Amino acid sequence: MNKKQIAITLGVMCFLLTIAICVQLRTMSSASSTVSQTLSDNGLRDEVLRMKEKYDNTYSELENAQKELEKIRQEATQNDSTAEAKEQEIRENNILLGNTDVTGDGVEVVLADATVTNSLNPSYQIIHFGDIQDVVNELKNAGAEAIEINGQRLVNTSAITCEGNIIKINGERVGSPFYIRAIGSQSLLYGALTRAGSYLDIIREYGNTAEVTKVDDITISKYAGSITYEYMKEDK
Amino acid sequence: MKKLKFRADITTVTVVVFIVCIVLVSVMLMQFRTVEQTDITEIETMRESELRALLSDWKTRYEDVAKQLEDTNKRIEEYNKTIEDNEAAADLIDDELTESNILVGKTDVYGEGVEVTLSDGDYSDVNASHLIDLVNELRYAGAEAISINGIRILAMTDIVEMDSYILISLQRVQGPYVVKAIGDKDYMSTILQLKGSGFVDITSDINVSLAIKNRVEIPKYNGELEIEYMQEVVSE
Repeated sequence: MNKKQIAITLGVMCFLLTIAICVQLRTMSSASSTVSQTLSDNGLRDEVLRMKEKYDNTYSELENAQKELEKIRQEATQNDSTAEAKEQEIRENNILLGNTDVTGDGVEVVLADATVTNSLNPSYQIIHFGDIQDVVNELKNAGAEAIEINGQRLVNTSAITCEGNIIKINGERVGSPFYIRAIGSQSLLYGALTRAGSYLDIIREYGNTAEVTKVDDITISKYAGSITYEYMKEDK
Repeated sequence: MKKLKFRADITTVTVVVFIVCIVLVSVMLMQFRTVEQTDITEIETMRESELRALLSDWKTRYEDVAKQLEDTNKRIEEYNKTIEDNEAAADLIDDELTESNILVGKTDVYGEGVEVTLSDGDYSDVNASHLIDLVNELRYAGAEAISINGIRILAMTDIVEMDSYILISLQRVQGPYVVKAIGDKDYMSTILQLKGSGFVDITSDINVSLAIKNRVEIPKYNGELEIEYMQEVVSE
């Protein structure tokens, strides 16, 4: 090998290495920007937690204020029978709206994904939001007065949504097993879900769990949020 | 340059090149590690958008609750004043009752919103699940009041498929189905038309038409809102 050949080889090698370094340097600069992003990410995470805490505090404050309002409303209407009747109606409205914890006889439905996979299509073996919707509709048809799913009370504005494989009710994540509780006529509610060919039978067909039991004095929690309106007005 | 290199002793050249190579290789290794880290931070950036969504979600909830807390405290103050002054609380209670009746669905209401009309397609008919899905999506989009063919849809209203018609709270309805909703008209229409998930975009088996309205009128619930089975849980 003569000196010229060595020089050329070295030259090419140096050239390649320099290019490689240049490429890496560019990656590096973008990497350093992601490092700062991670930092802002942590800040964001803190912010979310702070906002949640703020919400929790305000919400418990609101709960206390609502109790106080109820007391003072009662006091203010004590000696006036028409006002007293109205106070009673407001109370009833709050029960209907889902603003209060309620108790009564009812049923509890448990829906859970199959534990053993024996189907070719595993999609059949999980509880879909459509299954929940069907069961809920059946309960409403049987005259349910209050329904909750995993602690989420169904109110006038409640939506059951499915984002990817996450089911949300009232904007909160819920997952299998699903406990659907309903208050109403026990025999009607139970009957609707146990008749032959009911939704529960269909859900069970693929190995999923779908059970219904009568429960006395079942408690259903109130809607965890504020029920207000902004766009509608009374049409007199 | 060339002349200098060629004159230099071969061993010196080799040593220099060797050192340069080692430095370059170690720089490259360092860079590779940074590149690996970049892959991790990519997931972090994906989480960032999720965090942002979560943050705005909590913020909205906080603002709702904070506003309601403010309203409730104002009410308490007003009641306190009537008690102190020994005045009748008739006006106050009337206001509160009206508001709560609007929320429950005991009054006719109007406001901006959308009107969705569903009619049978060439090969398939409108069925109950179309209506259930649409109502659910409208609720998700923040609808404050919903009606189908003049029947107010409340939290416990069922929509049931019969052979040739649909039953909504035990009343027969037939197509075309006019679904009205009061709420933020722009937001609701955007949600309904979302590509790939909005009701209007993905429903192709039946005819769907969407109209954005400045005034939508929705009648009150025409049944009895009875509380027969549930009782308020009184704490303390």
